[in-house]
Amino acid sequence: MTQTQIKSDSVYGSAPLGVKPRKSVAQILKNNSGFLFILPALLIFLIFGLYTVIYSFALSFFRWNGFGVFTILPPACEAPACAFVGLRNFQEFLYSNPTQSQFFWRSFQNNIIIAVFVTIGTIMIALPLAMALNRAVRGQSLYRTLMLLPMVTAGIAVYYAWSFIYQPIGVLNSILETIGLGALQAKQGWLGQPNTALLALMIVMIWGAVPSAMILYLAGLQTIERELYEAAIIDGASAWHLLWRITWPLLRPITVIIVITSLNRALQEYEMVYLMTNGSPAGHTEVVGLQIFNYGFGDQRQLGMASAMSWMLFALAFIVALINMRFFRSKEE
Amino acid sequence: MAKLRNFVPSTLFYYITLTAYTIISIYPFLWMVSSALKPNREVLRNKSLIPNEIMFNVFVDTWNQLDFFKYFVNSAVISIAVVIGIIIVYSMAGYGFAKTSFWGRDLFFTAFLGLLLVPGVTVLIPLMQLLRALGLIGPDATQLSTYTGLVIPMINGAGPFAIFFFRNFYNSLPGELRDAARVDGCSEWGIYLRIYLPLSAPVIATVGILNFIGSWNGFVWPSLVINNSDWFTLPLKLRDLDLQAVIQWNVRMAGSLITIVPVIVLFIVLQRYYIRGLTAGATKG
Repeated sequence: MTQTQIKSDSVYGSAPLGVKPRKSVAQILKNNSGFLFILPALLIFLIFGLYTVIYSFALSFFRWNGFGVFTILPPACEAPACAFVGLRNFQEFLYSNPTQSQFFWRSFQNNIIIAVFVTIGTIMIALPLAMALNRAVRGQSLYRTLMLLPMVTAGIAVYYAWSFIYQPIGVLNSILETIGLGALQAKQGWLGQPNTALLALMIVMIWGAVPSAMILYLAGLQTIERELYEAAIIDGASAWHLLWRITWPLLRPITVIIVITSLNRALQEYEMVYLMTNGSPAGHTEVVGLQIFNYGFGDQRQLGMASAMSWMLFALAFIVALINMRFFRSKEE
Repeated sequence: MAKLRNFVPSTLFYYITLTAYTIISIYPFLWMVSSALKPNREVLRNKSLIPNEIMFNVFVDTWNQLDFFKYFVNSAVISIAVVIGIIIVYSMAGYGFAKTSFWGRDLFFTAFLGLLLVPGVTVLIPLMQLLRALGLIGPDATQLSTYTGLVIPMINGAGPFAIFFFRNFYNSLPGELRDAARVDGCSEWGIYLRIYLPLSAPVIATVGILNFIGSWNGFVWPSLVINNSDWFTLPLKLRDLDLQAVIQWNVRMAGSLITIVPVIVLFIVLQRYYIRGLTAGATKG
């Protein structure tokens, strides 16, 4: 490339000569050569990340049963399998189609129940455990390792182990029988009865979520100075005071992280439900993520509806993230 | 000090709490081991964790006759490919974001992190359409093309966290390292490959163990992509047992153990790095 071409191409073309030093193309390439380091990551991101996100967004305005073609590069949607419907998908599952909206809101209600109970349950178990673990000098690593195992276990193995405990002639029912609480038994199995299925599912979720919360709390507890407690005791603080005035406030940032993670997981949950109950009995354990999955890959495919619902989830995840950011900003101020 | 000890609940109380929860935590695993050692008719009848007679042949049969060795290899190949891919692609990207400058650097970084917000289920449909359009899956697909289509989106999914870890680590290293290598005539690529990458061994261990376990345990995504039962991973094969008419609890449990034991061993060895990955960021504030 000649010098004149570079001049005419330059963004500073109208500026007086010599005000801004021109860079040669070679110089520009050299200055930006760091770009090559992110190029592989960027290519994967553009094709498998950004493209799929845009595709899903576009699809949420269409009705499509999965046959034929729907592409956005180039835009193509083959009738009659596929048609543009605007906001109809959103309207239908939110309010206008009674069957669909009823199903959606019932699932969403389960998501909320899971979010509330699993989050509270996880914290109430993880914090005392972390405090005990923090004190247990001897055998700490053995206890920790054993308590972390649920975290690294494949969902399908978790399902087998727990369904063995939950089944009608399973361990849980026979324990209840033995301790004289036979009346509490779930005769059709804990995952099979409408009044116990969601509870049984949430217990497994808490069992799986306690380890990571406990590890976070333990890390937090290890940063709290022992002198703080000693000083408070000299001032006459009770054990209750120590917990509520020192431990709990100082662990607040950790609690925020655990709550946010737990809320997000509850919003997006579907894999464990899919494996354990697939929404049964009669939709009592149905969650939004599972509905999306079944609209996308089940027998009655409505890919546009699945995408619309998943964008609703995305919006909620985004709100949770915004709340998260506000929390941290207010902490810094 | 003595006063503090009198004040808080006694150490014994802590140990009782820990022991109680440890039992809850490993109780399902105990049943797994116990049931895998029993004959099937005994599994449901014998309510004791200790089998009447210990049978190791359930394990042997599951491994040999049900071809669990084959699925074990499949799982290992996929998980190793995912981990190697992640480490190569995102250690480079992390270095690029931390130590070099180029147009749009911060914009790209934000875009990568933004991916974290997208629920996994949102992109399942587009990904399947994309893999089909690329010819990676479908009736004519080979095992290699299917696994390629399976692995790349998994690498992409791990991107935000991996970039974050590598970038933070490289940022924490002194810039003099780079200047000194530059003076000695090292190229940018050489600096990354010979100096920064070897120094990042702890991050490689953290990112590696987190993602190895994640992809080994993955169920939904592999179940969508893999349509040939010979190419199944361990979790997919395990799920397949669920669809059989007669439930063989002992085989299920033996298969479950074969699936989880490698991960548990790896976890015990690399626990420190796993926990570091979990707590990074949370305790810095």
